[in-house]
Amino acid sequence: MLSRDIQALAFADFDIDGAVRDTCASMQGHTRSTFLRRTVAAGVTALGGVAVWPSAASAAEARSDVAILNFALALEYLQASFYTEAERIGALHGALKQQADVVGAHERAHVKAFRELLGSKAIKEPRFNFHGVTESPDTFRSTAVAFEDLAVAAYKGQAPLIKSRSYLAGAIAIHSVEARHAAWIRRLAGFLPAPKAFDEPLDAHRVVEIVNSTHFVTLRDPQTSSRTRPRFTG
Amino acid sequence: MRHRRHRREAGVVRGAVALDKLAVLVTGFAVTFAAVALLSPRLLASGSVVRHQLAAATSFSGTPPAQLPSALDIQRVVPLSDPTGATRWAPVLRATTARSRPTVRSATVGPLPARTPDGTTNIVVADGEATARGTQWVHVRLALLPNDTQGWVPRNALGGWSFVETRLVISRARLTATLFRAGHVIFRAPVGVGARGTPTPAGTFYVRDRLTGFTNPMYGPLAFGTNARSPTLTDWPGGGVVGIHGTDQPNLIPGRISHGCVRLTNTSIVRLGKLMPIGTPVVIQ
Repeated sequence: MLSRDIQALAFADFDIDGAVRDTCASMQGHTRSTFLRRTVAAGVTALGGVAVWPSAASAAEARSDVAILNFALALEYLQASFYTEAERIGALHGALKQQADVVGAHERAHVKAFRELLGSKAIKEPRFNFHGVTESPDTFRSTAVAFEDLAVAAYKGQAPLIKSRSYLAGAIAIHSVEARHAAWIRRLAGFLPAPKAFDEPLDAHRVVEIVNSTHFVTLRDPQTSSRTRPRFTG
Repeated sequence: MRHRRHRREAGVVRGAVALDKLAVLVTGFAVTFAAVALLSPRLLASGSVVRHQLAAATSFSGTPPAQLPSALDIQRVVPLSDPTGATRWAPVLRATTARSRPTVRSATVGPLPARTPDGTTNIVVADGEATARGTQWVHVRLALLPNDTQGWVPRNALGGWSFVETRLVISRARLTATLFRAGHVIFRAPVGVGARGTPTPAGTFYVRDRLTGFTNPMYGPLAFGTNARSPTLTDWPGGGVVGIHGTDQPNLIPGRISHGCVRLTNTSIVRLGKLMPIGTPVVIQ
């Protein structure tokens, strides 16, 4: 288990404004993804540490940090793909477009940083199917609120478990940026940017449950290559 | 042409504070978080310590203390190279019907199968979207005759979007194939195109699949399938799909010698295969 102090949070405790619930309710009939769950499992069982791990640290601690970093990378993949898709499709305008462009660049930077740090230990980027939520301002906005609140809670849940101080410094640097993203999109969605005096963390397994409930991660690539003999006109 | 819902931001934002006030709020949140993160539970119990730390965090003006170095290089943002220049495509998850307008009651344009005639996953390239009665629709190009037929399909029949920044231009006059990536030429080669009785159709199409490992030397080592259809060989097996492939007769290239397909030398098609992803638009002029 990644998080030792699993919070018994109900879905509604996290989904303060119902953004995730509304998004999930608009989708149905898709295969449940296990990408993030596998990510957690793969990270936990990864052997050895990454290159910059201090030599004095134990292998167990290194494995734990690799797992946490890969878990964070999975969340960053999800967010970066979401914003990149919205930016490319071009259905957003005005303040919402500005938010998506800026935050998307940040999330891609986070992905790049994690990939460079993890090197060969980095998990591969999965395929995503956002089921149309990037194609209209309303669905984009509510999903972005859910993603940013989720990221803040997820980083908060993992930060105390990071053993390496330099990793912790990096994680906290990202965490505060995610909090700014959350405040920004919450304001655009008409929610209070900072609704509570203290934020609650969310453990990894609860985060996985929430992400999987959206069915945004898909493990199957389309089969666009084949060894079939062509039947083209020639 | 894009079909989108546009809603005013002002109508959505309820009770929003002004942007400058938001900046104060966000900054305050960050400062508070940083201060809290630095304090142990024991110190948290002391209100005076909290006040001291917050004051220090907000009024600091001297030389910054030595910072804990981060293992992450998070100094640079990563903007998209060309947000509007990409083409998007999606796999067809289930067979459906393309319609003339984004509504189930509009005229049928034609079927959209989940598989190509080669047995690969069918894909569509999209250039617009619309929402009607709560259902999302996507405007796509189809593999139907007449070529360049387009229609609306339900969004939930499609998978996730992929994006490509490449574009292949086939010039039937110059007998060349030119591949662009983000506006720059990255490949150019002579081609063979359709003979007078079996012309290569003009229009804007896209690469649907990639076939390798087959034993027919007529197609060379690699063949790309497109959504273009021969206007003359309509009873050809598979419906007369126009491909882009190698050849066992390189001496005929360049020339107007094919049954509608675009032929390249085997060296050229292998090189193109390393550069051109699925979903690449193919402009035949």
